Amino acid sequence: MSEITLRINGKQRRVTVEGRTLLVDLIRDQMNLTGTHVGCDTSQCGACVVKLDGDTVKSCTVLTATLPEGTEITTIEGVSTGDLHPMQEAFSKCHGLQCGFCTPGLVVTAIDIVERSPDGLSASQVRKALKGNLCRCTGYQNIVASVLEGARAMGVQVTEEKETV
Amino acid sequence: MYAFELERPTTLADAIKALGGEEAQPLSGGQTLIPTLKQRLAMPSTLVSLTGIDELKGIKNEGGTLTIGGATCHADVAKDGSYPALSDLAGHIGDPHVRNRGTIGGSLANNDPSACYPAAALASGATIVTNNREIAADNYFTGLFETALDEGEIITAVKFPIPEKAAYVKFEQPASRFALVGVFVTKGANGVRVAVTGASEGGVFRWTEAEEALSSNFAPSALEGLSVPADGMIGDLHGTPEYRAHLVGVITKRAVMKAG
Amino acid sequence: MSMGKPLPHDSAPMHVTGAARYIDDIPVPADCLHLAFGLSHVARGVISSMDLTAVRTAPGVVRVITAADLPGVNDISSAAHDEPLLAPGEVHYHGQPIFLVVATSHRLAREAAAKAEVVIDPKPAILTIDDAVAVRSYFEGGPLTWKRGDVDPAMAKADTIIEGKIEIGGQEHFYLEGQISLASPQDNGDMVLATSTQHPTEIQHKVAEALGTPFHAVRVETRRMGGGFGGKESQGNALAIACAVAAHLTGKPCKMRYDRDDDMIITGKRHDFRIAYKAGVDAKGKLVAVEFDQYVRCGWSQDLSLPVADRAMLHADNAYFIPNIRITSHRMKTNTCSATAFRGFGGPQGMVGIERVMDHMAHRLGMDPLEFRQANFYKKSKPQETPYGQPVKGFILPDLVRQLADTANYKTRRDAIRTWNEKSPILKKGIALTPVKFGISFTLTHLNQAGALVNVYADGSVTINHGGTEMGQGLFQKVAQVAAGEFGIDMGRVRITATDTGKVPNTSATAASSGSDLNGMAVKNAVDQIKDRIARFLAVDGVKPKDVLFADGKVTAGNTVLSFEEAAKMAHENRISLSATGFYATPDISWDRTIGKGHPFYYFAHGAAITEVVIDTLTGENKILRVDILHDVGQSLNPAVDVGQIEGGFVQGAGWLTTEELVWDDKGVLRTHAPSTYKIPACSDRPDVFNVALWNGENHVPTIYRSKAVGEPPLMLGISALMALSDAVGACGEAYPNLSAPATPERVYMAAKKVGAKR
Repeated sequence: MSEITLRINGKQRRVTVEGRTLLVDLIRDQMNLTGTHVGCDTSQCGACVVKLDGDTVKSCTVLTATLPEGTEITTIEGVSTGDLHPMQEAFSKCHGLQCGFCTPGLVVTAIDIVERSPDGLSASQVRKALKGNLCRCTGYQNIVASVLEGARAMGVQVTEEKETV
Repeated sequence: MYAFELERPTTLADAIKALGGEEAQPLSGGQTLIPTLKQRLAMPSTLVSLTGIDELKGIKNEGGTLTIGGATCHADVAKDGSYPALSDLAGHIGDPHVRNRGTIGGSLANNDPSACYPAAALASGATIVTNNREIAADNYFTGLFETALDEGEIITAVKFPIPEKAAYVKFEQPASRFALVGVFVTKGANGVRVAVTGASEGGVFRWTEAEEALSSNFAPSALEGLSVPADGMIGDLHGTPEYRAHLVGVITKRAVMKAG
Repeated sequence: MSMGKPLPHDSAPMHVTGAARYIDDIPVPADCLHLAFGLSHVARGVISSMDLTAVRTAPGVVRVITAADLPGVNDISSAAHDEPLLAPGEVHYHGQPIFLVVATSHRLAREAAAKAEVVIDPKPAILTIDDAVAVRSYFEGGPLTWKRGDVDPAMAKADTIIEGKIEIGGQEHFYLEGQISLASPQDNGDMVLATSTQHPTEIQHKVAEALGTPFHAVRVETRRMGGGFGGKESQGNALAIACAVAAHLTGKPCKMRYDRDDDMIITGKRHDFRIAYKAGVDAKGKLVAVEFDQYVRCGWSQDLSLPVADRAMLHADNAYFIPNIRITSHRMKTNTCSATAFRGFGGPQGMVGIERVMDHMAHRLGMDPLEFRQANFYKKSKPQETPYGQPVKGFILPDLVRQLADTANYKTRRDAIRTWNEKSPILKKGIALTPVKFGISFTLTHLNQAGALVNVYADGSVTINHGGTEMGQGLFQKVAQVAAGEFGIDMGRVRITATDTGKVPNTSATAASSGSDLNGMAVKNAVDQIKDRIARFLAVDGVKPKDVLFADGKVTAGNTVLSFEEAAKMAHENRISLSATGFYATPDISWDRTIGKGHPFYYFAHGAAITEVVIDTLTGENKILRVDILHDVGQSLNPAVDVGQIEGGFVQGAGWLTTEELVWDDKGVLRTHAPSTYKIPACSDRPDVFNVALWNGENHVPTIYRSKAVGEPPLMLGISALMALSDAVGACGEAYPNLSAPATPERVYMAAKKVGAKR
């Protein structure tokens, strides 16, 4: 058992974890933040993506105890306070979801993609940047549309690239 | 996952000390080791986390040699750009989330026969720097998941001489995005080097016939008629030995073309 | 009005914030126990000894349950009673559950399960179709044949004959939320379950059977699934029953979820098929005779294999009139996981068979495959009968296909591709248009019924409940739009509630694409009853009940205009019942599966897709460049939801036939049991250009607002990807490519090499 202080969704939390406690288990079981989902257990599907000090990671493949003291963690629950984040609005409005299980990981990833692209974003960049997030329902069309819509709402220019002809 | 002790050293010296314990194993980004632990394929009693050691991180470009700390993640190597072919390789490992955690030292220490970095290290004539010595890439990779590293020895850095020309082309196993066949070619002070990953039952290897042919004429056409034998290639659910052997020829040509 | 609007999914605001609860997110009491199965490590054999001491003494273990410890019936099957929860002595596949560990955490249960010492004397395992055919390991004793006309003389007179066979791989569902169940024991011996299932009623029945109680002692609730695709029609039974049994024995709530590898190893998948065919055409290029042998690998138990194989036979014609046809279905019993329902339910495999025939024959005749297909379509003007004797009415494919081919410039692009291919020695492009005609209704006729419960509260708010389950397909949203539209109120007043066997009993699985057809009608029926009661109450002073209007949030009866809220309050105060159950049974269907004749489908849903691909003949790498789809959903209940189903269905279908390869080794061990070895489409694989349009037209039979079912049919649009790859490979030489599925890079490479690609 080790103790570690983390900042989870802006709040300082002192937690006690075993060496083998995965970050996703801390988030779900100890913090009761169940928006982060376990899809594949093997670091492939991206349903468990959260932000660690500004970088997206798959929380099913991070041992909590290896995190440096004071690590900042943002889960889907920390993406917005009160009103929906523009990216959340976009996924909802543009039908970027069906069963919804992959959605939290996608929204966290999508915001990160846009934040890393202040100079503009294209559909093909979005497709590449989403390769670590699997969705089995939508066929991804509306997901890409949602990310681009969210980018616009976040003030990032979308470089028009023909999505349909 | 079985229970284990987790050590979190902040200095290299402490890490070495911790690794002296029985059944202790280093843990870097964990993108391979943690899934392995979950499947209970490994049962170390102590894991020594290397991610908190600042001296193992960072990238320096000095006098044509790129030195990358062992605990540097793929995303940082991808961003660096001073060795474009290496950054290109790093930027295509796994997916963005994996690249934020996985490290070069972890990849080279594990020496998965389908990993990308071993091809880069071998083709570049890199030097693997550990806590107590320097190992030439040619002497480092000793077989499937086998390296010259001793028990308790960790990779502190990797030194890449930046060649004049280089490129990496990977034919992905589409599900894992590991290499079904990956070829890294370089042309520089060390001559032409061609390293192939993903294909051989012996792990990453140098394709010397191709190197010879390319030494006199660094062009895809120089490889006409050359092939590796299917014997000794990996045959698994993702491809037969014959297919892999064929791909080695095709992908090498493409790597040479990409290197220009 | 809410009808026909592209409103977001009802749970969208909860999904984007992570607030939507799946079973694993439901808070449980601290004493909740967690379950894991111990699995067979051989494909077939007899358990000679089982030492579970180490399991029982492992940390956190509360109880270990074997077949002998079960309180009731040891069976999880849908119908055949051939699938024990825990193997009683003999094991029939690698991964079959043998014992059940009950522990204080999920992890401890799994760790303990691994400590068992089970010795199994192996017996020769029947793993492949060939193995099974060799020893005649059939379900139902032997093959089933349906026919029309007289195939042999017709074939003998045919002008051109082709013969061939295609192997079609199975498919893992890969719902993102794995199988999961939670059971909570109640007083009086009752059991309440929250389960991720498409079939709460079946779970209720099987749990009751396992506990030896009447159905009324078990209540099953399902708010949503994280994907189903058919994989949660019967495959959740084992977990639900295990939880209920453990909860019954321990008196504590019990939860079970499979880790992904267990999920992939234990649960059934889409049936893999081998289809051998022979087909003949006359001099005018009309099909005169077709013969199919469909070999179906069913796995070790029957599960839903018989209706799946039936549906494959029922779709062996797809869109084409075949005067003489013989379809023989071989349902092979093998020592592999029991193949199960998967979106399309056999239809896709049957359809691949006939589309392969069309492709192969067009190649032989040197015809454009589209022209050959069009020449053989069922007639639109004068309904012709399917091989099973159902007249093909409302057949819009000739028009739909013509419109799609025109708007997507099929002919111009096909010519351009030919020219391009001539100048491109290594890369080759291909294009194909394939149609879909999919029969809508359960073939087991009695399943085509649905119930609903609608409550109007005294404040004018409404809850709706029905037997359908929500797995992401937007069923709840569509049905809520029906209810809101009928009451003339805004969507905010309608609350959608979890599917609950205590509210609506005796429901069918949410399957066969039937969800909105059946439940939409049942809810409308309930709404109509309540409206009628309110109308009768308000119809005074010469106003007739039928003239009372429900619209724009108001109820208007002559000069009386009330808000819906006022109307509800007033009705309640005047002792008018504001709760109703609704019911619907699909009319005009009948079916005799033993002879293969009848009218099994209420109607057909249609669609067509054009896919353009490029292959690299040196490596076999391939990419979908462009997809154009025109699909028939009748008068759409929610066009955005329907388009989402079409896009997702196509990508899933194309994935099945291109990248999703299941591999079992020669010991019967599934080697592709993780997403790192089994490749489902990722965002980066999505076609660059993807145009989807809805056919403008309503259902020719009365359905809910003349809409059509949309869940399964679009999956079969993905067949165009396989045929486009075949077209590209065909460009490498003269011979027919004979491409099997999934068309992985290695298969494409080998096929191109065989056809004559330059190396």
